[in-house]
Amino acid sequence: MEKLASFIIIVGTILWFVSVLFLGGSWQWQMFAALILTIGIFIAHFWEEFNEGKSKKDTRKDDN
Amino acid sequence: MARERISQADEWQAWAQRYDIEGGIRTFESGLTGKVFFGALFVGLLMMPGSIYLSYVSGQSGAAAAPWVAVILFTELARRSFTTARRQELYMLLSLTGAAVGSGMQYRSFIWYAYFINTPQAASYEIADKIPAWVVPPGDSVGVLTRNLLHPDWLLPIGVFLLSKFLGTLRFVSGQYILFRLTADLERLPYPMAPITAQGATALAETTGKQETWRWQVFSIGSMAGLLWGFIYIGVPALSGVMMSQPIQILKIPWIDFTQSIEGFAPTGVFALRTDFGQMLFGFVLPFPVVMSEFVTAMLSQFVLNPHILYRNEILHQWEPGLDVRATGLFNDLDFWRSYGIGKTFSLGLVGMAASIPMIFKLRSSKKKAGERGSLATPPNRGDFPLWLMGLLWLIGMGGFVWLIHWMVPNFPLSFLLGFAFVYTPVNSYITARTYGVLGRDLFEIPYLHEITFILSRYEEIDIWFAPFPDEDYGAGTQGWRVLELTGTTFTSNLAATLLIMPILIISGILVQHFIWQIAPIPSAQYPFVQMMWPINATNECLMKTSLRDGNSEIIQAIRGDYVAAGFTSNLAIYGLLWVFKYPSMWFYGIVGGIGADPGSMVARLLGAIIGRFYMIKRFGLKRWFMFNPVLAAGFACGVGLIGMGTVAIALVSKAVIVKPF
Repeated sequence: MEKLASFIIIVGTILWFVSVLFLGGSWQWQMFAALILTIGIFIAHFWEEFNEGKSKKDTRKDDN
Repeated sequence: MARERISQADEWQAWAQRYDIEGGIRTFESGLTGKVFFGALFVGLLMMPGSIYLSYVSGQSGAAAAPWVAVILFTELARRSFTTARRQELYMLLSLTGAAVGSGMQYRSFIWYAYFINTPQAASYEIADKIPAWVVPPGDSVGVLTRNLLHPDWLLPIGVFLLSKFLGTLRFVSGQYILFRLTADLERLPYPMAPITAQGATALAETTGKQETWRWQVFSIGSMAGLLWGFIYIGVPALSGVMMSQPIQILKIPWIDFTQSIEGFAPTGVFALRTDFGQMLFGFVLPFPVVMSEFVTAMLSQFVLNPHILYRNEILHQWEPGLDVRATGLFNDLDFWRSYGIGKTFSLGLVGMAASIPMIFKLRSSKKKAGERGSLATPPNRGDFPLWLMGLLWLIGMGGFVWLIHWMVPNFPLSFLLGFAFVYTPVNSYITARTYGVLGRDLFEIPYLHEITFILSRYEEIDIWFAPFPDEDYGAGTQGWRVLELTGTTFTSNLAATLLIMPILIISGILVQHFIWQIAPIPSAQYPFVQMMWPINATNECLMKTSLRDGNSEIIQAIRGDYVAAGFTSNLAIYGLLWVFKYPSMWFYGIVGGIGADPGSMVARLLGAIIGRFYMIKRFGLKRWFMFNPVLAAGFACGVGLIGMGTVAIALVSKAVIVKPF
């Protein structure tokens, strides 16, 4: 699921760049890219929440 | 080496835990005593006037400083009297002072509209004669021309304000309490940021005991730094303003504008160095990645994106050479950034929902396992209220509020008011309460909600823009109830204190606004910040309030769908890519905060963050530095507040008694 979410997000991002650079930046294409990104982000968070207990054993280290 | 993935909730919790060095308390005592009552009197009669005056002079109300000033004086009195102050008392005083300073700002709208109604902008946009009498008396009335808030002309605006205040107290106390019970008691959400506030009261309560701890030393260092800075930034202009027609500003307030200096290589870029270096303390406290990513993004926006992409492609097309930061910012805003900002805010809402909806699902599944969740039982002696009573109070408060708005704007469709009051407000508040409960901050806001509503209602009169609207959010306030719980302060004592302080603040606030207004016109040279900002605010308000007129709105015209979509999609892409490459989500909040912003306003915060990250942490160690942080910030705020209040008091007295012969 993590790879699927990453793939969808990257596809959405590329589509947005294409819509801005080659499709005149029309809002319809941009929003289509946003829809794809939204699906990817929701999948990412659902995976993150429900996978949390399985993958995380120790607490995180500070990154400041 | 591959980065380890951290869930967003864990990431924010980890930051919050740095400040949470003590567990919660489960024994409750009243915070309202005779000593606190006299402290509250001090707040009402001295601190709020100073904060109102400061807001006109420097643009800062001292809202952060004033509570600490009150509390430090209170603890000193306790020490000199060989008695002790409990943390419940100190938190109560902190809370009341914060409320006092905040409520002082509400009265400012009287002065603002008395200025606005006679501005050339209001006249040219044909607003001046359409401002309702329940907002401000007519521009040629005696009450406005003689700058007299106590004149009978002001009876209607002040009466409406008082009724709104009463109904608002009913709604907010009951609404916040109900949501607190749902999120903190029923769902057991952690409220990760609440312990930070509780720490300040703990630090100062310790000073009145027999043994002084490190907190007092750190607080004193912060206080001395604050005194020095406060004298330079606030004291010198305030005191010199007493003797001279033009006050001396060692550092120009509020910024030094470099926009015209950079226009040669960065046309349309803005850079105004904000001179309030007290912001460094926020840089100490805020997470380093947020401050850094915010600054870098702002620099890229103003030095690359604006001049080399948006300007070259004629997206920013209104700018002309020679404009200052205010005009450049306004044109850039109208050309692009306002539209982009709408999309950006929607992306924040969506990201918030994407983070919180899976949590709700997870909470539901984990509820079955954990026996603690799902119970509305309250800890003993917390001073809780019956839920049915609070529900009834909220219904009365909201029903009365809707009636009041309907009386103000009788032709506006009642169905919209009822929908916002009884559907939107509870849902919006619940979402915010949950995000505060999990992440300690708000993530959900629908931009331009009023404008969209007015378009849908087909209501074209301008009076609706001046009326309050029942789209409220009680979610943020739930955190305050959690702080009460952590400090062991009974809820009943907090409610009693709120009701006790209210009449003091209402009376003293109106009197002080009247007195300050009598000293000199607002805006004028005596009040440099409002003199600089209010004219442009008047233009903005005119643009906003006429935005839907005759379907020929400058603001609506400035909003372009493709730019809104760009703001929405680009920020989702940034968020998504950060997730894909396993970077902390708080980078996203920094980037969002920095896009399109003026980097000059962030320099002080950046300095603080760099000093903290590369010197202080190495010097003191991470844990100790994050223990020192809130106490140092509190001390600094206290020092600035002391010097600010002191010099402002001298200035107030001098201006009241000295009659200049020229």
